[in-house]
Amino acid sequence: MGDTDRQSGVSSCLDHVEVKFQPASSIPSRSFSNRLPQFGLVHRLIFFILIFGIEWSPLTHIVHKGRGAGELLQVAIAFVSLLLALAYFRSKDSFYRISAKVQASPIRWSLLVYHVAALAAFITASAIPDPGGLLGYLLASVWYVAGVLAIVLAACAFVPPKAAVEFLRSTGYAWVYALAAAVIAARALVATTLWNGRVWNPALDLSWKPASDATFTLVNGILHLFLSNVVADRPTMVIGTSSFKVQILPWCAGFEGTALMLVFSVAWLGYFRREFRFPRALLLIPAGMLVIWLANALRIAALIMIGVAGAPNIAVGGFHSQAGWIAFNCVALSFAVVTRHMPWFASQTTGARTVRSSRPTLAVPASVPNPTAAYLMPFLAILTAAMLSHAASAGFEWLYPLRFLAAAAVLWHFRSFYSEMNWRFGGLSVLAGVAVFGLWLGLDMVSNASQTSALGNSLALMNTPARIGWLIFRTAAAVITVPIAEELAFRGFLIRRLSSADFDSLNPRHFTYLGLFVSSIAFGLLHGDRWLAGTLAGLIYAFAFLRQGRIGDAVVAHATTNGLLAAWVLFGGKWYLW
Amino acid sequence: MKVLGLMLLFVGVAGLALAQTAPAPEIDPGSAGTAVALLSGALLVARARQKK
Repeated sequence: MGDTDRQSGVSSCLDHVEVKFQPASSIPSRSFSNRLPQFGLVHRLIFFILIFGIEWSPLTHIVHKGRGAGELLQVAIAFVSLLLALAYFRSKDSFYRISAKVQASPIRWSLLVYHVAALAAFITASAIPDPGGLLGYLLASVWYVAGVLAIVLAACAFVPPKAAVEFLRSTGYAWVYALAAAVIAARALVATTLWNGRVWNPALDLSWKPASDATFTLVNGILHLFLSNVVADRPTMVIGTSSFKVQILPWCAGFEGTALMLVFSVAWLGYFRREFRFPRALLLIPAGMLVIWLANALRIAALIMIGVAGAPNIAVGGFHSQAGWIAFNCVALSFAVVTRHMPWFASQTTGARTVRSSRPTLAVPASVPNPTAAYLMPFLAILTAAMLSHAASAGFEWLYPLRFLAAAAVLWHFRSFYSEMNWRFGGLSVLAGVAVFGLWLGLDMVSNASQTSALGNSLALMNTPARIGWLIFRTAAAVITVPIAEELAFRGFLIRRLSSADFDSLNPRHFTYLGLFVSSIAFGLLHGDRWLAGTLAGLIYAFAFLRQGRIGDAVVAHATTNGLLAAWVLFGGKWYLW
Repeated sequence: MKVLGLMLLFVGVAGLALAQTAPAPEIDPGSAGTAVALLSGALLVARARQKK
């Protein structure tokens, strides 16, 4: 179905049917309800909820909430809400078709009268004290039947039972998923003590100890595959060997990763819902959470093995803090890329497009680089190298040259793409770079950014050739690869990408204020506690770029700043600026 | 724009989740900027490759 058809479906679902009122004499057999405008499924559900809400609010003050009905009602509300959401995403066509049928049938006012009678019986049964014994069971039965009947009658007044059954049939097994989710949600709310009006934080709640135990068991199993002398003490959650042990604390047991994966997967499926087949795609959420939980167990096992291998400082100092993000990025990226190519989860249109796009075409040869990749990959290579080198370090980033080499390799790979860009620059770009240098130092003096660094001491501990080699790579990265990679990403790509998906076809001087400020703020945020100086620097580099639309101007301005900062660091011993 | 919007949402929610600092975090808040930038960029490249 095309967009136009779908829009017409929405219209039939939400809008009133135009009813021409005729003289009563010309339509002798018409009932009162036929004289009123008819409403689609969505409107009727809203009416039903409104009536329910209006009645329920005073009822909760009159009727006692015993006999377990409250929990049943929670399940019912969650079930109906989930079923409607799933049905809508699963088959919008069926939803609109049934809505049109509902619209054609009048609201059954007589059933609403019976609903009021059932409600009166329900309130009466509530008012009678529980006599106990058989009479008590009888009274409770009447109470339940009257309550359920009141709800069912009101529902049938708005939605004909035939349409409801057809709706249920069109959703396939969605009712199973909805019921399971509703029961689990209701039980989770009732059975745990986590939801007490504060932020849900299972990591700090020891009632989730079984999950920590499972992590401990898995880590223990992994370690036994590689080590023969594993020491594992479950009561204290200490595990390792006699030479290196760690304690698996509750907040290290995988909760943060699974919570992040939950947020990411829900957001991803929500944003790209048209590319997935629902409700089965919802299975990807627990699957993603399970994978990241397993990855966390692997992280802990790897950490222990690094410590056992003789690098406890790297295990605790670098690997521990980086491996969680590395694992999450790998799992999230796989989730986004791989699931789209799984026919069972992907929507039919996406699958067809994927099949088509897998064939080489004459129009877009495979040798033509992806512009987004050409603009972003050097920067991503630096970030990846930074995470890996931090993970392999204990404080001092001895693998820093990896950043330079990774960026240089990617720049070389896309060299033909870059050769068509404008790398010329003017004298004003050098002045802009000098201005940013002054701004950076000035803000550093008045801000509370850290002005201490262990870098100088770490370098002093290295032998001379290693120290000189490290400083050469560090300076070369600051002056060559970092300016090129960051200017390509933030000025060349992000400013225009925030204007159009087809950013590369836009004039290099094209910009919007949104793109300008967002790219500059993002650039600033990547500079940690020097975010303000970073943001202002981003704005100045952006003006250098946009003045002539030349990437060379921005790169030279950035390289000038970094070059002056490098000289300031090397000759002034201001290591904290690196 | 969807990827950028999604990552903005993700950063917001993750920021709340990571606001409480643990003595030895599984997910280090100090590396969040680098990690989210890396993931956002990788997703943008992957999506652009699929559209090509």
